Amino acid sequence: MDGPLRKLLVYVDGSEGSFDAVRLAVVLARTFGASLRAIAVVDTRALGELVQARIFLEAEREEYRRDLEGDVGRYLRRAQDIGRRKGLEVEVKRAQGSVSAEIKACVLECGIDLLVVGEMAQVRSRRDELYDEVDRAMRTVPCSVFVAKNGDRIEEIYDHLD
Amino acid sequence: MALVERIEERIVKVPLESATRDGVIDELVGVLAAAGLITDREAARAAVMEREAKGSTGLAEGIAVPHGKTPAVKDLAVAIGVSREGVDFGAMDGLPSRLFFLIMAPPDKAGPHIEALAEIARMARSKAFCRALVGAGDAREVVELLRGD
Repeated sequence: MDGPLRKLLVYVDGSEGSFDAVRLAVVLARTFGASLRAIAVVDTRALGELVQARIFLEAEREEYRRDLEGDVGRYLRRAQDIGRRKGLEVEVKRAQGSVSAEIKACVLECGIDLLVVGEMAQVRSRRDELYDEVDRAMRTVPCSVFVAKNGDRIEEIYDHLD
Repeated sequence: MALVERIEERIVKVPLESATRDGVIDELVGVLAAAGLITDREAARAAVMEREAKGSTGLAEGIAVPHGKTPAVKDLAVAIGVSREGVDFGAMDGLPSRLFFLIMAPPDKAGPHIEALAEIARMARSKAFCRALVGAGDAREVVELLRGD
């Protein structure tokens, strides 16, 4: 682990784009001899917004928080599986709060050299651009950010890794 | 993002024909069924009604966000409707609801479900934007407004 990149972080949100990012991060980690950590976040900030807007009842917040915790566990297990298939142990980080703040905190806390994220959706409104948490994380983390694009090509690259 | 990328004309109905809460929910579930986005129309409707029975999803400013979790959808499904006359949805301000977002998600897709609802919550803060949506002449205009905002 003495290459130019020593510690990588990949953000997983359950989208196929985020798992493409995991595959690419596994390739990068193996190539550079770096460690790889995956982070998934229970977005309690969004849950709070929904209660405040009265879209959610208080009981619903708790119900969905449990659902999100289950989702996060599944996403991280899948990320670990993608790593194991290529002989890489992926460390996992479960967080809760605001997605961008948790990603940034993990980058700082773990001394991450490179953050890997999935491709953004093509159809976006201006409001999305203002509020997108991954966008915000990309703007605010102190490390470089790698955006994984073209899932088919990434799959080929991942498959070719010994 | 979860919301806007799913908006297309076939899941938008302008104007809605129903004049009651149950009728609007049924009509919007029907929109999703016609678009091939739900496998069991009755189960989908029941999920939304069950949630509505716990408390109205009618917000202030004429917006209502009926929603529910159901295995009758494979992925997050969204339908939008605009009522010209307004419908008593038991909204918090007592005013009739005119703009409806029906959100349905499978039980194992809480993330996109919450993301879509949070997008609507942010949208609802802009009275001018909501007025523009309510005033839209047809489905195409609703789609253009949502994608362009």
